[in-house]
Amino acid sequence: MSKEEENRIIVDNVYKTFNVYMDKANSLKEKMLFWNRNRKEKREVLKNINLTIKNGEAVGLIGVNGSGKSTLLKLMTKIIYPNSGKIITNGKLTSLLELGAGFHPDFSGRENIYFNASIFGLTKKQIDERIDNIIEFSELGSYIDNPVRTYSSGMYMRLAFAVAINVDADILLVDEVLAVGDQHFQEKCIAKMKELKEQGKTMVFVTHSLGTVKDFCNRAIWLNQGVVKMDGEPDEVIEAYLKETT
Amino acid sequence: MNIAKDLYNYRELLKTNIKKDVGGKYKNSVLGVLWSFINPLLQIAVYALVFQVILKSNIENYTVYLCCGLIPWQYFSSIVLRGAAVIVDNANIIKKVYFPREILPISIVTSEGVNFLISTIIILGFVIFGGIGLSWNILWYFLIVAIQFIVSIGVALIVSSLTVYFRDLLHLLGIVIQLLFYATPIVYAINSVPANLQWIVKINPMSYLIEAYRSIFYNQTIPNFQGLLIALGMGIALCVVGYFIFNKLEKRFAEEL
Ligand SMILES: Nc1ncnc2c1ncn2[C@@H]1O[C@H](COP(=O)(O)OP(=O)(O)OP(=O)(O)O)[C@@H](O)[C@H]1O
Ligand SMILES: [Mg+2]
Repeated sequence: MSKEEENRIIVDNVYKTFNVYMDKANSLKEKMLFWNRNRKEKREVLKNINLTIKNGEAVGLIGVNGSGKSTLLKLMTKIIYPNSGKIITNGKLTSLLELGAGFHPDFSGRENIYFNASIFGLTKKQIDERIDNIIEFSELGSYIDNPVRTYSSGMYMRLAFAVAINVDADILLVDEVLAVGDQHFQEKCIAKMKELKEQGKTMVFVTHSLGTVKDFCNRAIWLNQGVVKMDGEPDEVIEAYLKETT
Repeated sequence: MNIAKDLYNYRELLKTNIKKDVGGKYKNSVLGVLWSFINPLLQIAVYALVFQVILKSNIENYTVYLCCGLIPWQYFSSIVLRGAAVIVDNANIIKKVYFPREILPISIVTSEGVNFLISTIIILGFVIFGGIGLSWNILWYFLIVAIQFIVSIGVALIVSSLTVYFRDLLHLLGIVIQLLFYATPIVYAINSVPANLQWIVKINPMSYLIEAYRSIFYNQTIPNFQGLLIALGMGIALCVVGYFIFNKLEKRFAEEL
């Protein structure tokens, strides 16, 4: 492994501010007519975040609602960019930020596998090789050929998760999506993620299920109001987190 | 430039997008193929009626003349209008997954390019059955298309990213395209434009391209290479400007959408 691949994700002095428009001017006309009325308020969501996530780490990201967990994950995926600071990722990265991310509602499950996996950078041939595994993992059976707009939330998640874990990423980012799966499928996902962890993949996992963090992660990061409040052993971080929030 | 590397790594996405776009147009209905021919044919019929029958244009073989300009123009106008909408239309994917955003405008330009290649059958039909015939000069077609492709990429990068910030640009562009249609020598000949207005035609890369299509199909001569070179220069300039604008604006797409 090369030196730089030891550090999979480096977050260096990152700040993120969102513009919150009270009455957003979205058109040229409004921007010209109401340029002075275009009030915006800046909301600082992440402040001075410094993290280094090493190869093979399974990181649980915890914190109360609105503490900035999803924002941090989006920054890592490059869906959004920081106002200052730098984020460097080394290796192929796959994310599962929201249910059915990037699915095309009118396409069948099978077509969406191709579409979604190609968004993650796979070629047709690579997808052909994996499609059976993906369908099998999703347990969708004959539903796989139905349009995904007819799927339940759990079925969406099954398909999205099955694709995400089968694209051979070095880094997997998952945001809370497991919650909609049934007991059986959640356990299966966790088991699969453990398997990936054993293979040396790097994972960052946002969840409110602290039991899963204890069980699965070897590092926990607690975000509070946009700053890293604690970073370390899952047991210790969770204990401190519970003490403060309950 | 890492855009080339990105495009290579994400070639499957590009291919899927183009297939979805081109296939969707022709696959879903038997009428699909028919529609894509009926629309330009109807337009040709209308303009021919107005300018030849009513306004009595003195251009010989006017319908053929018209068709050589109108079909390439439709490619251009669909780039502007569909290109402007492409980022906004794909908001739900952009907000949820990372991929090089340039893929979206580039696939629109490519799939519309494929549609244009197919519609060129109409031009061929008109020149063959309109009493003009074919010459080897039509092989220059591929060079002209390549230059139009470059112009289109630049235009698509610019309009697609700006529309995210100014949503009414979509409507504005609809009007601009109509005006540009008359500022391009499609229904009239370039030499009938008064000298003091020639500059309007000359700053528009589509003028040179349409002149070139017309040379090879209608006049059966070689295209004006100086004109093509100017169009190519404008195309490259548009791509460079488009690349910088797009790169700057794409960072906030997910937040603005
Ligand atoms: N696009 C946006 N525009 C303005 N503010 C935003 C935007 N996205 C998030 N925020 C704000 O950023 C803060 C952090 O949001 P984020 O979604 O990262 O929280 P979270 O930790 O994931 O919470 P949850 O546990 O509820 O998922 C919140 O205060 C939210 O209001
Ligand atoms: Mg969240």
